[in-house]
Amino acid sequence: MKVELRNIHKTFGKVHANDDISLVVPAGTIQGILGENGAGKSTLMKVLTGFIHLDKGEILLDDRPVKINSPADAIRHGIGMLHQDPLDFPPMRILDNFLIGRREVGVFPNRRKIRQEFIELQERFGFNIDPDGYIESLTVGERQQLEIMRLLWMGARVLILDEPTTGISASQREKLFETLRILVKDGMSVIFVSHKLEEVEALCDRVAVMRRGKLAGEAFPPFSMDHLVRLMFGKAVPVGDRTFYGTDQVAVKVSGLTIEDVRLQIRNVNLDIYKGEVIGLAGMEGSGQRQFLRTLGGLMRPVGGRIYLQGKEITGRSYHYFMHQGISFVPAARLEEGLIDGLTLTDHFVLAREQSGMFINRADALNITQRHIEDFNIRGTPEHRIEALSGGNQQRALLALTRSKLNLLLMEHPTRGLDIESTIYIWGKLKERCKHGTCIVFISSDLEELLQYSDRILVFFGGKVSQPLDTVTTTVDQLGQLIGGKGL
Amino acid sequence: MSSKRSWLLVSLLVVFAMVLSACQTTTPAPTQASAEPTAPAVEEEFVFGMVMVGPYNDKGYSEAHYNGGKYVEEKVAGTRMIYVDKVNSADRPGTTPAQLAEELVAQGAKLIIFNSDDMKDSAAEFAAANPGIPVIHASGDNVWAEGKNYKPELTNMVNIMGRMEYGKMMAGCAAALTTKTGQIGYLGPLINDETRRLAASAFLGARYCWENYLGKDPAELKFKVTWIGFWFNIPGVTSDPTQVADDFYNSNYDVVLSGIDTTEALVEAGKMASSGKETFAIPYDYEGACKENEAVCLGVPYFNWGPLYAKYITLAKEGKWAPAFEWGGPDWADINNPDTSTVGFFKGAALSADASTNLDKFIAELAGGLTLWKGPLNLQDGSAYLADGEVATDPQIWYLPQLLEGMEGQSVPSN
Amino acid sequence: MFKSKPRWFGLGMQILAVVLALLFTSIILLMVKAQPFEAYKNIILGSVGSFKKFSDVLVAWIPLLLATSGLLITFSAGLWNIGIEGQITMGAIFTTWALRLLQDTTVPPALIIILAFLAGMLGGALWASLVGMLKVYGSVNEIFGGLGMNFIATAMTIWLIFGPWKRPGVGSMSGTEPFREALWLPMVPGLRLSLWSLVLAIVVIVIVFFLLKGTYFGLRLKAVGRNMRSAFHLGIPTSRYMLAAFLLCGAMAGLAGAVQVTGVYHRLIPSISSGYGFLGLLVAMLVNYQPLVAVPVSLFFAMLNIGSIQLPIVMKLDSTLSGVLQGALVLFVLLVDGARKVLLKKS
Repeated sequence: MKVELRNIHKTFGKVHANDDISLVVPAGTIQGILGENGAGKSTLMKVLTGFIHLDKGEILLDDRPVKINSPADAIRHGIGMLHQDPLDFPPMRILDNFLIGRREVGVFPNRRKIRQEFIELQERFGFNIDPDGYIESLTVGERQQLEIMRLLWMGARVLILDEPTTGISASQREKLFETLRILVKDGMSVIFVSHKLEEVEALCDRVAVMRRGKLAGEAFPPFSMDHLVRLMFGKAVPVGDRTFYGTDQVAVKVSGLTIEDVRLQIRNVNLDIYKGEVIGLAGMEGSGQRQFLRTLGGLMRPVGGRIYLQGKEITGRSYHYFMHQGISFVPAARLEEGLIDGLTLTDHFVLAREQSGMFINRADALNITQRHIEDFNIRGTPEHRIEALSGGNQQRALLALTRSKLNLLLMEHPTRGLDIESTIYIWGKLKERCKHGTCIVFISSDLEELLQYSDRILVFFGGKVSQPLDTVTTTVDQLGQLIGGKGL
Repeated sequence: MSSKRSWLLVSLLVVFAMVLSACQTTTPAPTQASAEPTAPAVEEEFVFGMVMVGPYNDKGYSEAHYNGGKYVEEKVAGTRMIYVDKVNSADRPGTTPAQLAEELVAQGAKLIIFNSDDMKDSAAEFAAANPGIPVIHASGDNVWAEGKNYKPELTNMVNIMGRMEYGKMMAGCAAALTTKTGQIGYLGPLINDETRRLAASAFLGARYCWENYLGKDPAELKFKVTWIGFWFNIPGVTSDPTQVADDFYNSNYDVVLSGIDTTEALVEAGKMASSGKETFAIPYDYEGACKENEAVCLGVPYFNWGPLYAKYITLAKEGKWAPAFEWGGPDWADINNPDTSTVGFFKGAALSADASTNLDKFIAELAGGLTLWKGPLNLQDGSAYLADGEVATDPQIWYLPQLLEGMEGQSVPSN
Repeated sequence: MFKSKPRWFGLGMQILAVVLALLFTSIILLMVKAQPFEAYKNIILGSVGSFKKFSDVLVAWIPLLLATSGLLITFSAGLWNIGIEGQITMGAIFTTWALRLLQDTTVPPALIIILAFLAGMLGGALWASLVGMLKVYGSVNEIFGGLGMNFIATAMTIWLIFGPWKRPGVGSMSGTEPFREALWLPMVPGLRLSLWSLVLAIVVIVIVFFLLKGTYFGLRLKAVGRNMRSAFHLGIPTSRYMLAAFLLCGAMAGLAGAVQVTGVYHRLIPSISSGYGFLGLLVAMLVNYQPLVAVPVSLFFAMLNIGSIQLPIVMKLDSTLSGVLQGALVLFVLLVDGARKVLLKKS
């Protein structure tokens, strides 16, 4: 089925997530959608599947305009979406799961007939799932297979896959690609959302690249990697004035660090972080940089390896111990993990400071808050509730809350969602700290930011970690390719 | 926020539960209690208040008291009853009987009746705190000079009690004359002096009739007491009397005597009978209790509180109040005379003609002076209670320290 | 129009909530064929109709206020301490235990009472700490843990009353042997009210007020309650603060139990908590973390409790009606608050 999007707009508050996107996916093709995190891929797919209502624009299926207001509408029109985490109901039998969502089956489904259909579908694709087993017993890959069959059985003619290869084995990935190729031969369309350049290259008939809510360009095989990277991350920008405060004194030493998580393994990372240095962690979301940063902050316990702070081992100690050693962690989700909804700025400064006595000295607290407000250029009063501040001001408040004398400052996306002015201001403040010996490790998905402010960069891809790259000799293109998994 | 939502959910549930409980237990105003047909008030109305442990319509102990109060209203001109029922810590948390009695006084009561032995402490506390208010404590012993708990300072209290021992003997007799298995169960409430002596009386009556009218060996008669913990079922607090009755019937006890205020034994006997078993029950307290299931009811020993209440309320009304202890017995001329007999026994439809004749014989013997509280009698643990030929005194009966030899069941609560 | 005067708007909405709750209760009254206005009149007269009645209201208010004080702390920490009933009960059990242990000794009665109160606090805190540890170390939700502990506490009371602490020769659920009068809290002559316990309750709520308003501890509790992850990242030992909230609440619940034993019943009875824990939960929900508002609201709830005793006496109605009114109040205040927020957002 041919899918056509015309001038799609969608804004969330001030963010223009989809800005005038127009795209045609002819029937019988596999369309790749590339873009870094926050480029607007997921929003576009959610618009197409009815999870989100578009603000402006038109969707046409086989040249017929349609309105899609809910996921149920979408599947009625033949659009099915395979989510990153297939939506299923684990304590159920597979056949029951299969039945969910289809209206025609009625209250008392004809199980025998449905089982027959299930088995026929399986044979067509060469899957091997026991219809009477339980969902829990399936691997992520098998769940995907089940979900694809379910969507087809419910009448999907367009299949959307959002990062489908996360967490499945190489052979399962091959199986998946094979299945998709069979489907498009029958005249179906597949939209394949990914950030993995190699996969897109291997699978797709055409690629659309998104950047910052806009369609940055389209590409057709044979693909040029450099071209795709440039489309994803923008033109290589001339890097402006950069000052580094890195010294040759090792502040933090990481040796043989191994981290395990449900989805991911990071093995044997060795790294010396020098006093005053800034290290950027690059990579697509979910590549392991978050786990690495949180391990450095004492929030996750590594399964192997050691962490030393100024020669002293601190592996396995608690987060609060790390804090006392001058290691501070600033999370990305400001209101979820860093600040407290309902409390004022002053309350936050009181909380972050050492307790003196039992009662809070309000006058003192107000003074200190006022000083920080001026110091960090926060637009707000001490009595402002934190959620009433803008994102940039919340971020400044978060930074202001960290102690003034730090050995290691760990930050997730320190400038995400902030305007240029705030970004420059915040980095000015951060570099000031580097000058006084603090080292900074931060995660960013903004390549320019990474190259501009880091001394060195580590690139993460699927739990693998690159050697530290010196930013002076690294280009945006190189970085983009590494992030896409080329050469790691 | 989600916490807001859970607040909402929890409060919804709470309200729902409260509405449910209110609907369940709310007793619709019967016939506008306040608008009693009082004759033109020539003299000042004498209001008496009654504090009842159970619901006023429990078909048991409290209803018997309620009817006693109604009897007074009818027979003693110018009196009116107000009451509060379900006075126990489970039904009215946060209150004490004394506090509720004061509420009745505030509503105009000039005399207060406490109807349960369980209110002993509260009745004494109230009497001491309100020396101007006459107090009748039914089943108490605070003003019994020969009693163990004599408090001479309570000059405004009267204790009344019926000699239910006789009623229980008749009940025991009827049970012994009926049982085919020779096993009688006794569904006991809580354990105290009163309940021990009543269970023992039932046993004595049963053994006498078993031996003398049926000519059987007393050793072959099994008599077992199981206590539930209170006068009626309080879910989660007491044992479930329905369960206890069932256990009796299922383990070959074909007659169950109820010592509690409610009619579970009768109901269960009915259920068993309808499934083909020959089972019977004897309820307690309230003359109308057999109506629950006539077909399996052997009869009911009951209290008739009216005459004693009328007597003392009249005294109070006429200003002739004095502390007294009265343990009123049946009127042997007619044990069921509503104006004279404090304790009675109504035969039930299930009592056979033979058994009925024998029971009449037994009642006649009792009327003629037969006493079963006579030695030789041993306590449950085998120690001597009454020597051969010795007749128990009132205090000996009232404060029976254990069950009697030959009875099964706990004499004192276990640890 | 509303936006210009949100304060008046808010007040109007509060009044609306009370009116709705009364309306709801009235409908229920009409359903059981009773006169709502007569019922309300009786409740009012029954609670403030005389000095003595009002003193009875205070007797009910004291444990309710103590329970509410404790709950304000756990609510601040974002915890649903449903287990408060069990904590009151455990407080009562420990108080009784201390009194039994010391009653026949030569220790002066005043000291015995003080020790009994301390024991009560210990009992409540101990019970609460179990719920807290289940929550913090065992990931058992405090609501389920609390319900379980309530059940155990009730079972334990009954076991004690029927077993080890039974009255000699008696096996009745009516309670243990009353303590001698020297071991009662001194009463105001002619009343059931003890000024000592009244002062205690007021002192406790004042402490809670300052604790939540002006101390580091209170602010941190609030932070934990509003956003545990952020609080943790800011360096607050969240587990320790949650446990502390449970301990404090339990200690105050234990005080409520101690007051019930030494000041009201003078013995242990099966339902010694008298439902004040659950009622305290309603109050705490209604007052939205504000100790000063808790004072009049809990007093009002105590008035409803005491005033409704008139219903069975005068109108032959069940006194659980006060519970309906209390629940309806909470429900409608929350509903109306939700509606107000929606309206303010729209305008």
